[in-house]
Amino acid sequence: MNPPTASSMQQSNCHLRFGWRSLLVFLSLGLGLELLHGFKLGWYLDVGNEMRRLMLTLAHAHGTLLALVNIAAGLTLRAVKGFTLSASASWSLRAAGLLLPLGFLLGGLKIYDGDPGIGVIFVPVGALLLLYGTGGAVRTLVRVTREQD
Amino acid sequence: MSAIPTVQDDRFSRRRRDRGRYVRLGVWVWAACSLFTTVWADGGTARPPADRPLPQLTAGYVSSATCYACHPGNYGSWHASFHRTMTQTGSPENIIPEMDGLTLSHDGWIYQVTRRNGTYQVQRRAEVDAAGGFSAPQEIVLTTGSHHLQIYWLATGDGRTLVQFPFAYIVAQKIWAPVIQTFLAPPEFRTIYDVGEWNGACMQCHTTAPRGRYVGGNRFDSQVAEFGISCEACHGEGAEHIARNRNPLRRFSLHLGTKPDPTMVNPAHLKAPESTLVCGQCHSISAFVGMEEKIAWSQWGRKYRPGQPDLQQKFLLQPNAPDHAEQKQAILQQNPHYFSDRFWRDGMVRVTGREMNAVVASPCAKSAEFSCVSCHDLHPKTGGDARWAAWADGHQLATTTESNTSCLQCHPRIAADLPAHTHHAAESTGSLCYNCHMPHSAFGLLRAIRSHQVSSPTVRETLDYGRPNACNLCHLDKPLAWTADKLTAWYGRPQPALTVDDREIATGVRWLLQGDAGLRALTAWSMGWAPAQQASGRGWLYPYLFTGMNDPYAVVRFISWRSLRSLPGFADYPFVYTEEGPALDATVRTGYLDWRQHLQPGHAPYPEGTGLLPDGQFQQDLFRRLLRQRDQSPVFIVE
Repeated sequence: MNPPTASSMQQSNCHLRFGWRSLLVFLSLGLGLELLHGFKLGWYLDVGNEMRRLMLTLAHAHGTLLALVNIAAGLTLRAVKGFTLSASASWSLRAAGLLLPLGFLLGGLKIYDGDPGIGVIFVPVGALLLLYGTGGAVRTLVRVTREQD
Repeated sequence: MSAIPTVQDDRFSRRRRDRGRYVRLGVWVWAACSLFTTVWADGGTARPPADRPLPQLTAGYVSSATCYACHPGNYGSWHASFHRTMTQTGSPENIIPEMDGLTLSHDGWIYQVTRRNGTYQVQRRAEVDAAGGFSAPQEIVLTTGSHHLQIYWLATGDGRTLVQFPFAYIVAQKIWAPVIQTFLAPPEFRTIYDVGEWNGACMQCHTTAPRGRYVGGNRFDSQVAEFGISCEACHGEGAEHIARNRNPLRRFSLHLGTKPDPTMVNPAHLKAPESTLVCGQCHSISAFVGMEEKIAWSQWGRKYRPGQPDLQQKFLLQPNAPDHAEQKQAILQQNPHYFSDRFWRDGMVRVTGREMNAVVASPCAKSAEFSCVSCHDLHPKTGGDARWAAWADGHQLATTTESNTSCLQCHPRIAADLPAHTHHAAESTGSLCYNCHMPHSAFGLLRAIRSHQVSSPTVRETLDYGRPNACNLCHLDKPLAWTADKLTAWYGRPQPALTVDDREIATGVRWLLQGDAGLRALTAWSMGWAPAQQASGRGWLYPYLFTGMNDPYAVVRFISWRSLRSLPGFADYPFVYTEEGPALDATVRTGYLDWRQHLQPGHAPYPEGTGLLPDGQFQQDLFRRLLRQRDQSPVFIVE
């Protein structure tokens, strides 16, 4: 394994810090949701609150998954020689890791029957940033690994 | 080591290739067959056979299943309601009791039910014709109701025309009874609904967007948007609402704004008269304006849509209102008892399920705020199976209606000092507004129902119209003079002219012995009502409830029996209320003697005016005289 450069090391640390913190937050949210199930709270479980349940579940799932994506990005930066993320791609991955679950979370706090709250507007923004960040990572990774081949 | 391929190897590899090709081909054929079978099977089950009413979404109707996607909470509360189950298909999961092997007899016929291929089939034969075989089986294709009663409809094979299975299942008591004996009907009536009655009448209110589609003779080709009373019955067709709200920007502008969605009617947002009419399209006594409208209704369905200001093809039938005199005259010519079977003599409704006539006649209706949703909440905010079940069982009342809150929001002066107005303790049932102003003076579904015409109790309503007044529905042991004195002293009501009986005999006794069948049914019900038992005492009720259990009207017998079972010592008392003649006399006599022997000594002395001797026997001269004076007018109350 080749040692990473200083800049990719710095990026890696940044993603790892974000990823692990985010993992802690959204795993905790999962625990919170389990408690809501455990105590059978109508606010979360009633048929009329199906949209809330969906939104909070998605917030938990997306938050956790994107935390792992950021950890994976951090580890990839360390593991693949010459691989760095552009500043915008790196920022996008971290912002997506925040905005996507936050959008679902806010969308679930206040619901309108079968519609989530207005906070869900963060979700498409986060999704676009995620696509941009992932796209940037893929492009660089493909280039770097081809060069190595 | 490299091997040189031989001819044998080549043949072997070709065989393997061919085999792989066959396997792939087989997979494709299997997939195609599966797809075809799935589509074909789905098409087959979506369309019911030609011998039963057809669910058919006409332009604009989308069905409750579609509403569920965006309104799961409202769908959930509706799903828990008895509106949904008003009409269901006759599949065994929708039928409350197990019917396989059931044998019942009524009016000279024996009916036998068997379960075959996931359906219930009914056959019948004449009782006298023991050697003769049973008729060809008829399938139970639809059910009506599931709350108090469930009744069943059979395919006739003549188009989509149905005929009624002549027995109803009484849910709470888990017993079968002839349908006619679940209505307050004179004993000489043996059947109630003819062939095609469901298609011609019942479906108008028990389904969503009904079209009877009369063909000729007894033949109908009936269609509905949905069985049961679903979302679009009260909110109007949903197609446009759905199409326009596919746009999320539109939805969020509605969520975040204050204006209601113009593509959907919400009765809670309508002005009171229009809101009441949404419920009143079914919950009213109404008549067709003319035969043309009736034919148009049958062919094309109801013209009225929720939110509109009148029923269009129909009019609200208020007997004492001056409108539609010609139509009312025609109705009376056809059925001289039409009004007396539905209204008290002053025009107040006496049958349940027709509440709009009462609501609009209430003084509260003069306020622009008073409508059905002032007291009823069709979609409670908090749900869950248990809470919704209790709400549905409790007449879909808003939580504020269980107390005085609904009334006091418009009558704050009374709220300031409730006992000063009610002359009852603030926490007692006598201080609940609806116990005095909405007494149980309407009847249906084997029980007394609150009048929905808000009124104040008077003795005159009893003397002049034969209607039980609110005071004596609770104070059954008090004579009318007692009530008149209280109403004069408390509210300044003028004293009416009273007879000796009015002054001396308990009103409950007189109503049960002298009243017409409707009044007897209401009285027997009140005798089982906890607040009345608390106010009037229980001991003296036993012998009168046994008297009610021997009434010529089957429903009065049923209600008396149910009330008796609310009294100590008789909670599990068995009684077949559909029995008649000497067997009935003997059963009731045995019960009465049983009470006298075992419980009566603890009940004496009895309140003055109840006509009982200290040993629990009736004062025979009084008892016989009151029975002789009974109002024998035939009463036929069909909800």
